[in-house]
This record gives sequence, structure tokens and C-alpha cells, in this order.
Amino acid sequence: MTTLAPAEVPTSNPPAVTPAPGHKRTSIGRVIAWIVMALIMVVTLAPFYWIIRTALSSNSDLLAHPSTPYPVGFSVDSFKRVFGWQTGDAAIAAGGSGQSINFWLYLRNSIVVACLVTAGQLLFSAMAAYAFSRLKWRLRGPVFAIFLAGLMVPAIFTFLPNFVLIKELHLIDTLLGIALPGMLISPFAIFFLRQFFMTISTEVEEAALIDGASKVGIFFRLILPMSVAPLTTLGVLTYITSWNDYFWPLMVSYTDSSRVLTVALAVFKSQTPQTGPDWAGLMAATLVAALPMLVLFLVFARRIVNSIGFSGLK
Amino acid sequence: MKRIGKIKSVISSARFRVKAVAVGVTATLVAGVSACSGGGAAQPNNVISYWLWDSAQQPGYQQCANLFHKENPKLSVKITQYGWNDYWTKLTAGFIAGTAPDVFTNHLTKYPQFVDLKVLRPLDELPATKDISDDEFQPGLGKLWTGRDGHRYGSPKDWDTVGLFYNKDMLAKAGVSADRVNQLKWNPQDGGSFEKTIAHLTVDTHGRRGDQPGFDKNHIAVYGLGGLSAGDNMAQTSWSSFAVSNGWQFMDKNPWGTHYNYGDPKLQETLKWYFGLAQKGYAPKYGAFSDSFGGYNQFAAGKAAIVEDGAWMISSYQTIKDVKWGIAPMPIGPTGHRAGPLGSLADSITTNAKNPEAAAEWVKFLSSEACQDIIAKAGVVFPARPQATQLSLQTRKAAGVDATPFADMVDNNETFFLPISSFGADISAIMTPGLQAIFIGEQPVSYLTDLNQQVNRLFQFG
Amino acid sequence: MASHVVSPAGRPTDTASRTPSGNRRRRDDTRLALIFIAPAAVGFLVFLIWPLTRGIYLSFTSFNLLTPAQFNGLDNYRRMLLDPVFWNALKVTVEYVIINIGVQTIVALVIAVLMQRLTRSMVVRGIILTPYLVSNVVAALVGLWILDTSLGIGNQLLKLIGIGPIGFFSDGPWVIPTIALVNVWRYVGYTSLLIFAGLQTIPGELYEAAKVDGSSEVQMFFRITMPLLRPILALVLIISIIGSFQVFDTVSVTTAGGPVNASRVLQFYIYDMAFGRFQFGYASALAVALLIVLVIVSFIQYRLTRAGQTDLA
Repeated sequence: MTTLAPAEVPTSNPPAVTPAPGHKRTSIGRVIAWIVMALIMVVTLAPFYWIIRTALSSNSDLLAHPSTPYPVGFSVDSFKRVFGWQTGDAAIAAGGSGQSINFWLYLRNSIVVACLVTAGQLLFSAMAAYAFSRLKWRLRGPVFAIFLAGLMVPAIFTFLPNFVLIKELHLIDTLLGIALPGMLISPFAIFFLRQFFMTISTEVEEAALIDGASKVGIFFRLILPMSVAPLTTLGVLTYITSWNDYFWPLMVSYTDSSRVLTVALAVFKSQTPQTGPDWAGLMAATLVAALPMLVLFLVFARRIVNSIGFSGLK
Repeated sequence: MKRIGKIKSVISSARFRVKAVAVGVTATLVAGVSACSGGGAAQPNNVISYWLWDSAQQPGYQQCANLFHKENPKLSVKITQYGWNDYWTKLTAGFIAGTAPDVFTNHLTKYPQFVDLKVLRPLDELPATKDISDDEFQPGLGKLWTGRDGHRYGSPKDWDTVGLFYNKDMLAKAGVSADRVNQLKWNPQDGGSFEKTIAHLTVDTHGRRGDQPGFDKNHIAVYGLGGLSAGDNMAQTSWSSFAVSNGWQFMDKNPWGTHYNYGDPKLQETLKWYFGLAQKGYAPKYGAFSDSFGGYNQFAAGKAAIVEDGAWMISSYQTIKDVKWGIAPMPIGPTGHRAGPLGSLADSITTNAKNPEAAAEWVKFLSSEACQDIIAKAGVVFPARPQATQLSLQTRKAAGVDATPFADMVDNNETFFLPISSFGADISAIMTPGLQAIFIGEQPVSYLTDLNQQVNRLFQFG
Repeated sequence: MASHVVSPAGRPTDTASRTPSGNRRRRDDTRLALIFIAPAAVGFLVFLIWPLTRGIYLSFTSFNLLTPAQFNGLDNYRRMLLDPVFWNALKVTVEYVIINIGVQTIVALVIAVLMQRLTRSMVVRGIILTPYLVSNVVAALVGLWILDTSLGIGNQLLKLIGIGPIGFFSDGPWVIPTIALVNVWRYVGYTSLLIFAGLQTIPGELYEAAKVDGSSEVQMFFRITMPLLRPILALVLIISIIGSFQVFDTVSVTTAGGPVNASRVLQFYIYDMAFGRFQFGYASALAVALLIVLVIVSFIQYRLTRAGQTDLA
């Protein structure tokens, strides 16, 4: 019986000394490792402190005191603006743009688009990755190489033709129009999953084949369940990427019905070439938009890090 | 066979999981497809789509739209706002794919390109707007929006120019009177009273002023002149006012010239002096503040006493807390006159507008007295009609802002046209890095001759 | 991830009970494979290949997006080879990629290994990923704010330890490293999560066996982790480098290519040429150049790291 959950913290010694087996003590190595980890945590979180500090300040005080470490002119107006509870003149006086924000509609739109993209990408890429790693066919190598090349297509080539195509399909200003290009193809996801599928031993598969399973059945009932960790990882990362996507959803949407959260919250960026952004509102919007993603990650984090205790062939 | 038993248990739990995934996928697909409905349908022909970027002006224009609908019950206007950067990207993509709005707010820097690309409809060919005449607006505005072919491509709706925003408290502390700051003079040799004043207003970190002995020009607490920048091909809020009041002109003729004068000695000496202010410590050097913290931010942070800025920024300055400020006109140059660039926004109709006659009705209404007065009362910009301009000045005075220095410059013929020509974006791509190089000191001021040659080459082969 | 006993020393124990391979039908899975790749292939052809071919065609034309393209042969490519801004963009982009990927990969590797060997804490994992939750543009704006020369807290802190203000976004030599490090901050969590997923494929018994044999953590890292991680690490490197070459948002928000041309990376130059200056034909040629660079770099990488093979299966 093996488990692949991250092992218990191992004993380790500096390379020069041969350790006595099973001897647990706090070593220099571990202390250094923890210091490194702590440093990384601090560097990662420090800008977030700044984001929170700015979100809780008021814009006019921010300009007057740009670098005091604590929030200046403390106010939660910025969050009110994000949820659409402070609009019009009150918002403009506080440094915002005064636009009305239909927050929950945009949230719903973001969720739908991200779900579409993630579900589509996971399923179709897993299917393709399976074909490229576990199925035997003559053209496998060359076709995979061509798919890989899709990674390198510069974005400037794809943007306009895709936009025109979405318009021809009458999908402008729809959520499906936003999701469609990302839903079907992701060379990265195919590549990623293929690398994982390659590490699955063939013996299990062969055993199932002997038991009479079809290749399709093996895919759905064996490979996919065994790949829950990379699939979840990929799924979470794809969801977050799609959630934060800005340019393409901006292009495709024209009305509130297809406006996603990132596009809607662009009202906090500078609206005219001479004025700056609504700093407090922008930082508050960032936090609010990031929160669902953080929750999503924490919910799935267990799946990402733990494996299924599959017994294999012991 | 332990193995088969284990596999079976995996399969049964896996089957459930796969079922869950399948249900989830179907559900989101259905949700996605149903979210399709309502989208993609073409606008009915009597809804005019109108775009703008300035969110502060949107309420005013919405009022105009409501009034328009009351007077034309069959027509209605749908206003959409996008921020500046996104605005032009979406507009361009819209031209290409045919999803552009019927009417949109046009800007002087982008409009020549659109004329050359033939995406703007001539207003003088549409019944509602063919009688618009230049005399209805502040002098010069109509001409700015007329193409090389003589057709009118934009109906001017507002104008602006630049002036000096000054911090009243700082000036009082320095003993500089409002009269003095309203009568400043400059010249490329010694900077005149302008340079003397900003030197006196500059304070280093030890409290010494710029004209006192021991002044440390490398450690400044407050700059006399904030927002100094390299500028670009137009330099609207940086050096263009100075250069023109020195007798310099952008092109052989404006609008629609074909030969630029960036290499002219008058410009070179102006820039030598202008960038020199940063070397002396009276203005921020390149990079002292990042682009996000321009003149206005420096002023608000108390880091600058005087900033050259445009009339469109008045409402932003009004949000600065605890600072009393005033507006002075640009300084008088060696020619004996002031100079300020005349900027303007206008409404344009696109070639793919589905109902151009209706769109023209809206454009006509936008520039009518009724709408211009509404905009004037909102107090955000100077409307293009002279009478509405007066109304706007009154509104601002009531709010405590004396914006007459701007209007006076127009009345005294002290404004000049920003350069309107083909290849605007290419010229900017040449001039902006070039000017930065000069500002930083990587290149001498004579580099302008080289830059000018590159610019004029565009017209030979373009 | 699958657990299977395939250590370098051991062999699967019940091979003997497996049916001889002669009984298994060795059939070609082409038809099945085509069905499996069908949805992805449709998306691929429609959303990637067609735009790519069109883009390559346009690079031989002069095209302003609104009137039909006019064929002009190799003019765009000739112009590109003589364009100092292009060569500068290439150089600046390569500098950026080296700094960005170098730092990012090393730090991500360290984090992933630490996450696996040091602590199981979910909090740590959540924290590591948080920069990825922020959009590119906001990360750049925050960076701009924190690192502003006069008003940013970064320089205030530096003043405390006696270092003069640094123009992070305005001083020529500093600009590219600063942008690179801002993006490292943003992407290192994402990268380390991918590597971490790859670490999961390495059987724990290998580490236990090595410990019994007396190896230290560092030795285990170089003898077990690195070799077995190779396929995933190679993938992560290729993906990261391709993404890094196309940096755009951060530059456009912070420096807009300045000062002078110190941060005018290739993608920024391309976008400005295409949508700002309406010279789409030339921009397409520039993009083709970018594509060629990416293909060459990825090909070399793929071969060097033997990413197509794995030591595990």
C-alpha cells in the first residue's frame, strides 16, 4: 500500500554527515528551508498589504500621502463603489467614475464563462491528450507536434479573425461567444495532460483491456479518475485564467448581458488619458474579484495535493 | 484477485465522478446557450448608438439623450461608455467587423487617421447637419474638423486650452502675488520672470528656495513647475505653448500640412531652455515621477507649486482636498504674445451607421443650444458655442473656480491649432522616444533635426 | 496520481501472471484517435490555424485593416531587417525572458519542493497562488505605485537603509529587470503549482528507500526529483518561455516602451504597429519573426530536455 501524499517531514542532515536512520532532530537544513519559505511568503504577500491599504483609503488622501504605511482617510467607500452601492455624484466626489455597476449580473456572467471554458477545455483536452499518449496510431507524433505549434501562434494573428468569425456566427455580445475560442482548444492543456498520462503505467491499462474494457471505457473509467490531481490543478488554473481574462471579453461584449466582472471593473481604471485610475476602487475591485478564486482554490486544494490511494499492482 | 476487486471499486466511484462531470458540463452548456438569447440581435434602425469615454460627462449627455427622445419620439439614443484605452481598441475592432457605433466622440489626435481610413461620414452630405457653419462655434473649431477635401467630419462640441494651475498657499508663502503670476514672461535665454518665479517657488529638502545660495538642486521637496515631461508630437500640456509663443510653427500649414518644422532653431532653443529647467532643479527630471503621477498628482501631493495643465482637468483639481488653487494664463513669450493649444472634441458619424439620417439628427441636437446649455451647466468642459461657454464660466464661478484665463486666451486669439496631418501615429512613434532621449540627455537638442527628417520622409513615401 | 511500483531497482511483481502479448490484438487506433481529437482539432483549425495562415499571408502585404490588403512581396521583411527598433525589441525581449524565466523557474522549483517536502499546510499553498489571482494590469499598476521613484514606498524603504532613490520604471538599465521581477511575482505561484503537480507523480517509496540508504534532502533532490520531474519541468519551461516572449500588459501599463526604447518589447511594438499605426502588414511580418524565434527556442528546448520521454512509465 503506498500513498503519495506528501511524505512526513523527513529527517535530513547536511550532506557531509551520515545520519542515523530514524533519528529525528531539527537540523540546519530545515531551519534554512523554513526561513526561505517565510521570506517567499512575505514577498508574495507584501504587495497585497499595499492593495488592502489602498482599498481602505480615500483617493484624495492617497494623493496627498502616497507612501504612509497605513490606510489614509480610512473609508470603505471603495468597496461600496465596487458593488454598485455608490454611484453618480457621490462616487465622482470620492474620485470614482460614477458609473453604475450591476455587480451580481457581472459575477454571474464571469461564472458562466469560466465554467464553460474550464469544462470544455478539461474534457476536450483530456480526450486529445489521451489520443496522443495512450492510443497507438501512425500519425501521432507529427500531429502532436502541429498541435504544440499552436502554443506559439502570436496573439496578434488570432484576435481579429476570431472576432470577425464570432460576429459571423452571430455570437457577438453573448457569453458563448466569449467562451468559444478557449473552450475547444488549449494546446497547453493538451500538452500538460499528455505529460501526465504518459506517466501512468501501461500494466493497469493492459489488465483492464484483458478484462474486456474498451479503449473508450478505459479513458472514462480508468485514466480520468487516476488523473484527478492534474485535472483538478489544470481545472483550477484554467478557471482562474478565464476569470481574469480581460481583452477578449472586452471585445466581444457590448451590453451588460455579456459583460464579465473584469470588463465591468475596468471603470476603476483611468477613463481619460489625463486622469489617473480610481486607485482605492481599483484595489477594492481587485480584492473582490480575486476572492471567489481564492475560495475555489481552497476548496479544491485538497484534490490538487493529494492523490488517490490507488493500490496498483502490489 | 485483489487487483480486480480494487479496480472495480475505483470504477464504481469513478463512474459517479464522471457522471457528475457530465452533468456539470451539460448544465453549463445549457446555461451558456440560453445566455445567448438577447445577444447578437441587430439594433432596430431607430436606436442610435453613441459612444463616449469621459464618464464625468455621461450624465449630461444622458440628459441630452432624454430630451432628444422627447422631441423625436420615434428615435432614441443608447449611450455606452468605455475608458480611453479600451475605447479606441473597440472602435477600431468595430470598424473592421462592422460593429462600430453610429455616432461617437472623436478626438483630434485620432481623427486624421480615421479620415484617411475613410470610416467617417461627411456631415455636410446629410440633411440634418449640412447647414452647420463654422460661425456657430468658437473661432477655429469648425476648421479643425474639416478634412483635406473640404468635407466636415466632426461637429465640434467642446474646446479646451491649457493654463497654469497654481497653489495659492505656496504662492502666498513665497510672496508671489496673483497679479504677478498672471503676467509672467519667458524667453529662451534666461527664462524671464517665469523662470525667476518658479525658481523662487522651488524648495529643496533643507528648506532653501531655488534662488537662494546653497540651493541643493538634487534634493527637492517642492518643485516650482511640476509635470514637466518630454511630450510627444503634439506636446499639448508641455512645451508647445512655449515654442509657439517663441514664434515657432508645427507645420507649413495647419490643418493638413505636409512638412513639419521640428528641426527649427526656435524649437531647439525652446526645448533647450525647457528641459534645462529640470537640470536646474526647478522641475522634475525624467523619471522623478512615473507617468502615472503626472502634473496633477504632483500638485495634489503637494510636490509642485505650479503645473501646466488643461481646462479639462478642472473637475479633477476640484477634488483635491485642502488645497486652494487658482488658474493663470500661459506666460508671454518673446513674440509678445501668449500661446495655448486649442483642443477640441467632436461628434462623428461612422460609415457603417445603419440609419445615417437619424444619426445626423442626433449630432445636430448635440451641438444645438439646448444640449450645449445642459453640458455647460454640468460644468465639466467648455462647450463649443460661445454662449454656452459663458454659461459654463458662470457655473464654474459659482463653484468657486475662475476659469476666465482660458476663455480670455481664445478671445484674444492666443490659441493655435494642434498639428492635424496624416501619419499622426507614426510621427508620435518617432518623436516620443526621440524627445525622451533629449530630455534624459542621451541626445543633444540638435537631434531634433534628425527626427524632423524622419518625420518628413513619411510624407515623401507615405 | 497513479501509484505504481516502478523503482529503478524493482520490477512489477506479477508480470508473470500477465497474458503473453501475443494474445492482445495489436490494432491501430487511428479511427478512435481521430474521434478523440475531433473537438480539439476543430477548435485548433478554426481558432488557431486559420488565423495563423491568414497572418502569414498578410505579412507579405500592406494592409491597413479597412481596405483590401495589397501584396508587396518581401518589402515588409526587408524593412524589418533594416529596422533598428525591431532589433532593439528583440534584444530587449530576450533580456527580459532570461531574467524572468531564470528567476521564476528557480524560485518556483524551490517553492514546489518545499511544498512537497517541508509542509502540508493549505494556507501556504493558498498564499503562494494569490498573486496569480490578480490581473496582469492590476499587478503592473500596483508595481508602479509601490516602486515609483519619488512617491513609492519601495524607495522610502530604500532611503532608510541609505540607498538613493532608484528609478525602477524610468532608469534605462533598471526597467527590464523591474518588469521581469513584477511578472515573476505574479506567475511564480502558478508555475510552482504546475511543478508541484508533477512532483506528485514521483512515488514516495523512492524517497523512503533513498533515506534508508542515507541520502540527504539535497542529494535526493538532484538524484530523484530532478530526473523524474524532467517531463513536467520541460513542459513548464517551454510554456513559460513562450508566454514570457509575449509580455505586453505590464509594459503597456508601466513604461509604454520607454525610456526611449529601453522596454519596447517585441509584442508591444507589434501591437502599436498594428492597432496604433494601422500598418498591419508590417506588424504581421514582425509577428512572424516572433513566431520563428519561438519555434526555434521551443524546438531546442524540447530536444535538450527530451521532454517527449519519461523515465517513469
